[in-house]
Amino acid sequence: MALLSAVKMVLVGAPPSDTDGERGLLRRARTGDPAAFRTIFERHSPGVWRFLRDLLRDESAADEATQETFVRAHSRLSALRDEDRVGSWLLGIARHVYLESRRTRGVHVDVADEEHAHQVEAVLPTPSPEDLLLDQELAGLLTEALGMLHAERRAALLLRIDHGLAYEEIASVMGWSLPKVKNEIHRARLRLREQLAAHVGGGRP
Amino acid sequence: MSTCRESELDALLAGELAPEDAARVRAHAEGCAACKHALAWQRLERGWMAQRARREPARPALSFAALEARLAHEPQAPVRHARREGQWRHWGKMAMAAAAAVAFVGLSLPRGGTGVGGTTEEPWSRELIVATGVEACEDAAAALEARVGACLIASPMVALRGD
Repeated sequence: MALLSAVKMVLVGAPPSDTDGERGLLRRARTGDPAAFRTIFERHSPGVWRFLRDLLRDESAADEATQETFVRAHSRLSALRDEDRVGSWLLGIARHVYLESRRTRGVHVDVADEEHAHQVEAVLPTPSPEDLLLDQELAGLLTEALGMLHAERRAALLLRIDHGLAYEEIASVMGWSLPKVKNEIHRARLRLREQLAAHVGGGRP
Repeated sequence: MSTCRESELDALLAGELAPEDAARVRAHAEGCAACKHALAWQRLERGWMAQRARREPARPALSFAALEARLAHEPQAPVRHARREGQWRHWGKMAMAAAAAVAFVGLSLPRGGTGVGGTTEEPWSRELIVATGVEACEDAAAALEARVGACLIASPMVALRGD
C-alpha cells in the first residue's frame, strides 16, 4: 500500500497540502511555485495581520501592511537563510513595514509607559482558573491594555506570548540583545498585569 | 534556579526547557510564592492570547487573490535558479572579455612578416630613427652631397636640403 502511494506520488506529483513542511514549501516557492507561496500566505497571514493590527491599532492599515509584507517576502524568498523560521522572518518584515508606515503616517506618540513595575507586583491579585475565560468585554480590555504599552515593548511581548517566538528569534526580529529582550518583555508583562488586575482574581465587576 | 527569573517560567510554559531544567524550575516554582504567582499570570496571558487569536474574524483583504493581483504589478520576483543564471552570465562576460583581450593582442602583433617563418621585426618608426642618431648621419650625407653636388638621400620623413 505504501509502495503504491509512493508510486502514485512519483507519477502524479505531490500536491501542496497543509501538512507540507515549511522548508519544502519555501523551496518550492523559491522556484516560482505559486501554490507553495499561497500555502505560506494562508498559514501566516492571519498572524502577520494580527501583529500589524496590534502595532498599528488600525485594521485597515493592517490590511495594507499585511499585503505589503507578503509582497516584500515574495521578492526576498531567496534571502531567507534559516528555512525553519519562515514565521519569524515574516514577522520581522512586518515590523519593518510597520515602522515605515508609522513614519509615513507621522505617528510618533506612544502612550506613556511609566516604569513602576516593582511596586505593581506586590499588589497584583493571583489569577484563578475561572479568569481564563476571555469574554467579549475582557477581550476589549486586553486589546486596550496592550495598546497602552510602548510600541516596541508591545511588539516584543506579542512576539512572545501571541506568536510564540523564542527569545533568540525576538532578539533577531527586534535587533536587540537577548538580555534586553528579556527585560523589555518582563516590563511589558508587569505593565499589562497592572492594567488588567481589576478584572482578575474575583475582582471582575 | 538560584534566583526567580520570569523568562525561565515562560520557557517552562512554552516547553522550551530540557527535561532536567523543566523539573528544576517546576520544583522551584512550587515553593516560591512569587514564581507561583508569576506562573499563574503567564498561564492566564497565554490563554487569553490564544482565545483572542481564535476569535479573530477572517479579513477579506487577506485573500490570496488580492495579493496575486498586486504581485502581478510588481517586478518579477527572483527565483531560486536566478543565482546560477547570474553566475553563467558572469562567466559569459569573462569569456567575452578574454576573447577581446586575445583579439587585441593579436591585432597588435606586426603584420609585416612574410614568407616562410616570417619575420617579427618591427618597421622603424620616426621616433626610433631620431632617437638613434640618424640625424648625425644626415649631416654627413649632406656634407657628401655638397661635395659631389648631388642629392644622395631622400626620405619622406626628412625634407630635402639645399632649397
